[in-house]
Amino acid sequence: MSSTPVFSCRNVHVFVEDKEIVRGVDLDISAGEKHALMGPNGSGKSTLAAALMGHPGYRLEGEIYLDGVPVSEMSPDERARRGMFLSFQYPVAVPGVSVANFLRAALSARRGEDVPVREFREILTNAFSLLDIPKSFMGRYLNDGFSGGEKKRLEILQMLVLQPTFALLDETDSGLDIDALKVVSEGINRASGDDVGVLLVTHYQRILNYIRPDRVHVFMKGRVVRSGGAELATELEERGYDWLEPELEPVAGR
Amino acid sequence: MANPVTAVPEARPLLDEAAVRELSQRLGENEALLERRLEALRVFADTALPDRVQHLWRYSDPSRLLPSAILGAAGPAAAAEVPELPEGGAVILLRAGAPPLVRLSDAAEKMGLRVAALELDGDAADRLGTTVPAAHGFFEALNGAAWSAGLSLEVPPKARLEGPIRIVVPAAAGSSIPRLLVRIGELAEATVVEEHAGGTEESYVTSVTEIEAGPGAHVRHMLLQSWGAGVAGHLTTRARLDRDADLATIVVSFGGSRVKMDLGAVLDGPGARSELVGFVLGHDRQHMDHHTVHSHRSGRTWSNIDFKVALTGYARSAYTGVIRIDEEAGATEAYQENRNLLLSETCRADTIPELEILTDDVQCTHGATVAPLDEEMVFYLESRGIPREQAERLIVRGFLEKTLSRVPEAVRPQVVEVVEERLSHFLGGHR
Repeated sequence: MSSTPVFSCRNVHVFVEDKEIVRGVDLDISAGEKHALMGPNGSGKSTLAAALMGHPGYRLEGEIYLDGVPVSEMSPDERARRGMFLSFQYPVAVPGVSVANFLRAALSARRGEDVPVREFREILTNAFSLLDIPKSFMGRYLNDGFSGGEKKRLEILQMLVLQPTFALLDETDSGLDIDALKVVSEGINRASGDDVGVLLVTHYQRILNYIRPDRVHVFMKGRVVRSGGAELATELEERGYDWLEPELEPVAGR
Repeated sequence: MANPVTAVPEARPLLDEAAVRELSQRLGENEALLERRLEALRVFADTALPDRVQHLWRYSDPSRLLPSAILGAAGPAAAAEVPELPEGGAVILLRAGAPPLVRLSDAAEKMGLRVAALELDGDAADRLGTTVPAAHGFFEALNGAAWSAGLSLEVPPKARLEGPIRIVVPAAAGSSIPRLLVRIGELAEATVVEEHAGGTEESYVTSVTEIEAGPGAHVRHMLLQSWGAGVAGHLTTRARLDRDADLATIVVSFGGSRVKMDLGAVLDGPGARSELVGFVLGHDRQHMDHHTVHSHRSGRTWSNIDFKVALTGYARSAYTGVIRIDEEAGATEAYQENRNLLLSETCRADTIPELEILTDDVQCTHGATVAPLDEEMVFYLESRGIPREQAERLIVRGFLEKTLSRVPEAVRPQVVEVVEERLSHFLGGHR
């Protein structure tokens, strides 16, 4: 395992206009590690995930590192080409742009060169079959008219195709029935090899039955209030979040 | 015979009876056609230049669409090349001051496609102006009196033409006044591609196209406007659909400097269907004004409009769309959507949907949006590594894709080429 984490952030604050939503977060995620960021609705988890990716609607203070390189001044596409990936809680529909054309543009951008047609077709065929998505979706317009579950599958399919080194998965489990959850989890596990770090952002412990986290961070009111091992997730499932409410002093999440 | 008609109001170009008679004689047309011209001239004389307070002229200055001289000033016929003959179809080059150049495929000839100079079609006078009468408006009256490049096209009943009929209408220097009269017979099937191209600063076009679709006819009408920079043009098209006739109109408009179009269909028999899809691309200081009308006169009719506009630079667009449903036209469905994409902070789009519905027995929806690029879409694509400029191009291309896919293959490559060329200029100048 390399000594430099694939992802770290230091003292990250996120503002929407003047409102501070994320109030000081530090994380270190090494290659091969899966971390879960768990918290109740409205705690700022999704805001943190989008801001880390560089969403223009948020102002981020603090520093983000990918493989030790500071990236907070970089545009979202630069971050992505450096290996960062965000699975959206609500994937955006782009009418008129086919899934295949989009994936081709994305993979070429990620690689910095055009992908040969034959290789691209092979990658797609494998990914579609692994995520149990009909091939006819290649010709459909991106997320346009897709069900919630179909969109989530397509997010993880993109993770498989683009092979990020650090993946932020925002509520990927929401809106999935149990069969779809299994398929999606298998895709995530497949895409997270020894050189990949993953931050799973989730409200529920459910997906953690399929994806074992190495670390669990409890996120409330814009801060990590407690960090621990996988057993912390089980405890949250049993006791909810309320018992942590008083512990609002920040705890280092490393 | 009525008194000689002279129409010389202020700020209006001279168009008098002598000039119209001279034109008619020069074209060698029959007395009936001359009579139609003189009728139109009388209407023209009584029609004032449209007032800017009329809502259809709120967005465009009619005087800027008028040439300084209507007749006699047309330059030599544009030396346009005859485009390739599409397989199984026909190609026609329609220029002022010269008879139409026509090439028919064997298939077109065999099925009896009839193409003639309008002035030499002995029966044309009976049909001319039935769909677009001179009373339609100022520019239509002008056209009715002074058209100088006329085409009569007829697809016989039950004929089915595989390839498209391409009609290329180059804009001449000076004034061009084309008139197209198209008849698609009962149960016939045809694709008509009307291409308005060419022209320069000195070009003014006033064109009228009338389409009659017989019972059960299937018609695809592509209107491609790709004039050169500087051209000022006014295009009117109307189709009249008999019972069970089915019309698909595809409009692509991106050329010229000052463009106004009045497009529409009259659903005049039960079971008639009309769909209009189109897009406008505006850049630089282009002024684009497009109007659509679906007029339901019969029951059990159906219409749909999907009209898109993408603007950049200082371009301006106005879209006005009317759905009109008569009292007798029950069990009718009519839909209309206009979406405008603003790709610069200095462009502007207006959109006015209108409904005139005189019966309760209808299903009707209409919608309009004017918006810049959706930043959430851009962010989504960026988050996958796609640079912003490329993301923007993908989104705009996607915006147009559904309409592009409807463009007949014979002209799709040239349309796609222009779209791609325009998109290459859309590069992120509007964060």
